[in-house]
Amino acid sequence: MKKFNIAIVGLGGQGIITMGTVMKNAALSSDLQDVSGSERRGGAQREGYVETFVKYIFYENESEMKDPRKSMHSPMIESGGADALISLEPLETLRGACYINKNSIVIFNKTPYIPISVRMGQTSYPEISFIVSELMKITENIFYYDFDAISLENFNSLTQKNIIALGALFAKAVIPIEIAAIENILKIGKGSENNLKAFKLGLKL
Amino acid sequence: MGKSNLFVNGTKGDKAIVLGNEAIARGALEAGIGYASMYPGTPASEIIAVLDKNKSSIENLYTEFSLNEHISLHGAIGASWSGIRSLCAMKNVGLNVASEPAQFLSYTGVKAGLVLAIGSDPGAPSSSNEQDDRWYSLHNYMPIMEPSNIQEAKDFTKDAFDISEKFSFGVVLMAPSRLCHNAGTLYFGDLRDRSEIKGDFKKDPENYLNLFGMAVRNHAKYLERNELLKKYLIESKFNKIINGSSSKIGFISSGVVYAHLMESLDILGVYDHKILKLGFTFPLPGELIGRFFEGLDKVVIVEEAEGFLEFQIKKIAYELGFKGAIYGKEFFKQTGELTIDDVIVGISNFFEKPLPSYFDFAVKKDKELRDKLPQRSGTFCIGCPHRATFYSILKAVGFSNTEGKEREAVIAGDIGCYTLGLLPPYNAMDFLTCMNAGLGIGQAISIFDKQKKVIALVGDSTFYHSGIPVLLNAVQNGSDILYVILDNSWTAMTGHQKTPSTQKDIDGKPSANVLNLKDLVKSLGVSYVKSLDPNSVKRFASQIKSALKEPGVKVIIAKRECILQEARRNKILNKKGSGFAEAGESLYEIQKSRCVKCNECFVELACPAIILKKDEETGNDYYYIDPASCVKCGVCCEICPNSAIRKVEFDLKTEFKLRQRAEIKSAEEVPNEVRINV
Repeated sequence: MKKFNIAIVGLGGQGIITMGTVMKNAALSSDLQDVSGSERRGGAQREGYVETFVKYIFYENESEMKDPRKSMHSPMIESGGADALISLEPLETLRGACYINKNSIVIFNKTPYIPISVRMGQTSYPEISFIVSELMKITENIFYYDFDAISLENFNSLTQKNIIALGALFAKAVIPIEIAAIENILKIGKGSENNLKAFKLGLKL
Repeated sequence: MGKSNLFVNGTKGDKAIVLGNEAIARGALEAGIGYASMYPGTPASEIIAVLDKNKSSIENLYTEFSLNEHISLHGAIGASWSGIRSLCAMKNVGLNVASEPAQFLSYTGVKAGLVLAIGSDPGAPSSSNEQDDRWYSLHNYMPIMEPSNIQEAKDFTKDAFDISEKFSFGVVLMAPSRLCHNAGTLYFGDLRDRSEIKGDFKKDPENYLNLFGMAVRNHAKYLERNELLKKYLIESKFNKIINGSSSKIGFISSGVVYAHLMESLDILGVYDHKILKLGFTFPLPGELIGRFFEGLDKVVIVEEAEGFLEFQIKKIAYELGFKGAIYGKEFFKQTGELTIDDVIVGISNFFEKPLPSYFDFAVKKDKELRDKLPQRSGTFCIGCPHRATFYSILKAVGFSNTEGKEREAVIAGDIGCYTLGLLPPYNAMDFLTCMNAGLGIGQAISIFDKQKKVIALVGDSTFYHSGIPVLLNAVQNGSDILYVILDNSWTAMTGHQKTPSTQKDIDGKPSANVLNLKDLVKSLGVSYVKSLDPNSVKRFASQIKSALKEPGVKVIIAKRECILQEARRNKILNKKGSGFAEAGESLYEIQKSRCVKCNECFVELACPAIILKKDEETGNDYYYIDPASCVKCGVCCEICPNSAIRKVEFDLKTEFKLRQRAEIKSAEEVPNEVRINV
């Protein structure tokens, strides 16, 4: 059995849950493949911390798939258990850093969203350099972009940043899921044209 | 036609990625339900929402967002007694409200199968407590099923209806938020023929008339049925023993925690111990537990909260004379969500094994980082009328963050989106417990502490849930309180279900039976009732001030629709070509020259669309309204004491198109339907 765990973190309203849904749907093509992963929604907490997990499972054979000791998967990723972390907000990357290990790939968005405590002057927002240096203490595979700016520039809207980030993940990490499988999912549903374009933009990063 | 919507049309052989809540709903659909109801509550809301959304393409399905859980469960009982399989869903605390019908349900029994799906919320990320509803069954005798993954969520729900009918109990399906909001692979089953679903109430006085001696007889009957169910569960497919090798150690678990356990054992490379997976956690048959105990001298129970299984299993062990040791809460915490990390640590501690190094490193690194990170809490959406309401109330009672002024009034909180008002920078609640505790507790405080002004807050949905009798009580007993009803026309926090205040659906269709809230309040005997738009901040604040000077019960209705729904409706109507957006467009901006950074908009109102920017040339910070996030509610413009915020009108279409970026940073922009429609 092989596993590939992806943690996606950010803020309520950034499209975190959609990213997880797209990635999970790309795992339906094979019978020996399974997927699990919960979302942390937390009411209507706009601007609050949100995370979702995507756990790909690849069984060696049918008997492994039926083995009760192998076929039950937690909806959560354990500390250090993520092969990749995507974060749509710089500070929240550090909150999600609990999931990564020395081999993990980290993709994060440079546009900060200032928490209330910083607004009120009680705390200060960390510099990007601090975020990067803290992440470097765990893994060297760190990539960050201004997904907000790329989305605004290309779509006149912030809503595509999640799919662009998803493309960036596929550009930088070896994901055991075919790019075409993701594109097939993006072809369905509302705004497919923009989604495909956004994904391709990310792939080029 | 192809299967465009698997939730409705899927059959055996189909599979899809499905949310836990949707899997529960699908299981109920496969079982042939004709009734589904709930009072919305996170994490359970999607269970009924997905059925409601699809009901026009499902034959003979009735769905209802009931006004509260008590009514909702009674409705399910009525449907069951009419021969209709019924599903009722609620969140953990909902069972407190529905505990009365739940208590009677075992006495009277069901006719057609009845399943009560409960979304529990360990760690309380979306709730005001983290109660474990399983304990209710020790005295209401409702059998409890606990699925561990998406497939079981669907399969167990389907089977629950058969068991409900066979033993005449309402069956509880327990799903924590980790399952409700887990999304994974689901293999569909076949649907039952729905054409025959038809109500036919048959009198059954022996069971349904529950009082005096008849109640005592019913009590004896359900204890008997409980014994029969126990017997059935010894051999059932729901409880499974996985045999180990020669180890004398065994693990018992259920639900999502069982999934944590199995993965933890795999991560730790521990495979040789006996395992009991409980699909039913109430009732527990002694014989099954006895079989599991055979050959063991140590049993570890892995479960969340205070130890419902441990409580039952220790009693059974005593009755069986089991001589081994039973562990549980020594290794697994009683409060907060029991995460996979907690299970890994608990098992390592039990075996006195070291933690995997990558895991240990990550845990330590996280602890080190946590203290350095600014806390982040949720807040109201940009343009939310609640933000204006809180701002106005706080100004009316003299509160200011920037000037360090405390407020003079006691403010009673309640449950809904507006609960976020208890967080900084507003800190606008002195207590918060359950639905309608605000006015309930507040009215008594107003009687006993006459020195302080008391304000109680409530949302429209919460008010209709159980606030009407509280308001009537306050009037009848002469309390002195200002009651602010934040009427945004929707049960917004749980995904926008309708309330009696909803005037128009999001497609613009007017609702039938819209209630006139002002008239209702008047009819309860409140003579001081005002209804106004909270986004007119100055007017609203001065109304609060004058109301606080009046004696008795005063009601102010903060009437303005939820901004998300208003924006969605506008978007839908625009698409239909109303030409509405083509008209002049406006933009709010802060004029750098006039802004003195007094913090009235940035900290006091704290709209997230107002952000801090750095001037590239001077290096100075300035406040800026982000046009990509601003929804042009205009509240900041009204409150600015220096008239630094101005409204700029655009009439050029091209200019408008440049400026009108995202209305709201809605997460659900991208393929919403993908989850089911694959």
